[in-house]
Amino acid sequence: MAASPDLSVDLGGLKLKNPVITASGTFGYGTELTSFYDPSLLGAMIVKGLSLRPMPGNPPPRIVETSCGLLNAIGLANIGIEAFIQEKLPSLAAVRTPIITNIYGHTIEEYAEMAKRIENVDTIAAVEINISCPNVEQGGMAFGADPDSAAMVTDRVVNNTTKPVIVKLTPNVTDICTIASAVESAGAQAISVTNTLLGMAVDVATRRPKLANTIGGLSGPAIKPIALYLVHKAVTTVRIPVIGLGGIMDYQDALEFLLVGARAIQVGTANFVNPKAPIEIINGLTDFCEREHISNINQIIGALETNNVSSK
Amino acid sequence: MGFRSESLASLTKPGQFFMIHLARTTRDPLLRRPFSIHGIQDGNRLMILYNVVGKGTSLLSTLREGDPISVLGPLGNGFTLPRPHERALLVAGGMGIAPLFFLTQALREVQRHRIKMILGFPTSQEVVLTDQLRDLDVDLSLTTEDGSLGIKGLATDHLDQHLAQELTESPVVYACGPIPMLRKVAKKAGAFHLRCYVSLESHMACGLGICQGCAVKPTKSTDKPYYYVCQDGPVFPAEMIDWEAL
Repeated sequence: MAASPDLSVDLGGLKLKNPVITASGTFGYGTELTSFYDPSLLGAMIVKGLSLRPMPGNPPPRIVETSCGLLNAIGLANIGIEAFIQEKLPSLAAVRTPIITNIYGHTIEEYAEMAKRIENVDTIAAVEINISCPNVEQGGMAFGADPDSAAMVTDRVVNNTTKPVIVKLTPNVTDICTIASAVESAGAQAISVTNTLLGMAVDVATRRPKLANTIGGLSGPAIKPIALYLVHKAVTTVRIPVIGLGGIMDYQDALEFLLVGARAIQVGTANFVNPKAPIEIINGLTDFCEREHISNINQIIGALETNNVSSK
Repeated sequence: MGFRSESLASLTKPGQFFMIHLARTTRDPLLRRPFSIHGIQDGNRLMILYNVVGKGTSLLSTLREGDPISVLGPLGNGFTLPRPHERALLVAGGMGIAPLFFLTQALREVQRHRIKMILGFPTSQEVVLTDQLRDLDVDLSLTTEDGSLGIKGLATDHLDQHLAQELTESPVVYACGPIPMLRKVAKKAGAFHLRCYVSLESHMACGLGICQGCAVKPTKSTDKPYYYVCQDGPVFPAEMIDWEAL
């Protein structure tokens, strides 16, 4: 029998046993879904976005389902970085997969402070910076939409930690390539493409927005084609690894992102529907590689064939 | 509709819910929907009650006997039963009858006290489970908004009278239904100093405490900024909820 395919990938210094990562905000603090599977099976886990101080989140309604998608305005409700490190992280000590914290600041100084705090925590393997969450009025959006401020945040985090820094980009910009290049130059080891797309839904009967926050971030299969396109643009622009996400529900979705050139993928909204989705995707990728006689997943990454059709 | 599982039937308490999906491959509707269990039949069939209101429930209505569904549960806390000597007063609006019917079933297994239930539906068309409730020896007060069955009006229209009548027994009040109804029940029960539990409905993406979509505002007395219906509820003591924010 042939050896099982090698699914391991390298994210700029961060080695993963497989390319499947749980996305921030859809995997809690890493402790909630352990009854469904052993998180050590994951390529990595990214825990819920953390801020320097606890955040209450937005008033309800916070979520609404739209066609093939989920519109949310959670408002980054979280217990704060200190409570995460003190109360949640110890119970993840036995997890044999990189734990990546997603951080979010209201000011550049807050990002820097969180990077410093994380630096001394051995169980945290890497940090993903959220410069793109569209839900909170101040901060987030402004950093991710402007190349200079995106670079500034990245630079401050990189200079305050020796851990790999991943920057999660927002799709709500005119040109994602400028932002991608800016954070690459500022020292990001990888980028995650993409966060949610800004969206809205209206209740016709009440003539009000369905979300209390009026606008929210759209995720799920509805955004997958856009996410794929943005990953496609990003991989042709930067040299650092790109982590693809946006509407990945099964291993075939994951393959699309890998073929386009994503070095790894994140599973987000799918966790809500099927808590075992990441594991099924890992198994699906393994089976696919075996079926196709692919010994190493890196043979798939970026293996997109181009259509040589010239328009006349 | 029902689904069969002996182990789940023995695990599930009144007030708990399941996240249900037709099949995992569905992209639209994308998310599971929360349904409370309205009773256990034949010891192994978990029953759910639904109205066709949207895409999810209309697909659900196309299922035939034996079709597979994907269920996640039991989830949530469930009702705290009254103490053996205590009576229960139930207030249900529309589909809110579902968890209260299960509660009635469970109560009948442990006590024979009179159970009073105030039930409201829009019209006689929507009225369900009343025969079964009478079989369980429940004292029903039925209202319909159009007066096509029972008393015309809302379940809460004569709440004062009902509560005053029952007051000497100081019953525990259990309510499930639309928010305006629950708000009124909570207020009146508070005024009469009766213990009151409400089962809340909410949009939720996961039911597992991860998405944090099902937030409800607590009263100021807690240090939590929000409760989550799926984890802290769906059943709450009425005084824990900030009814003005709901």
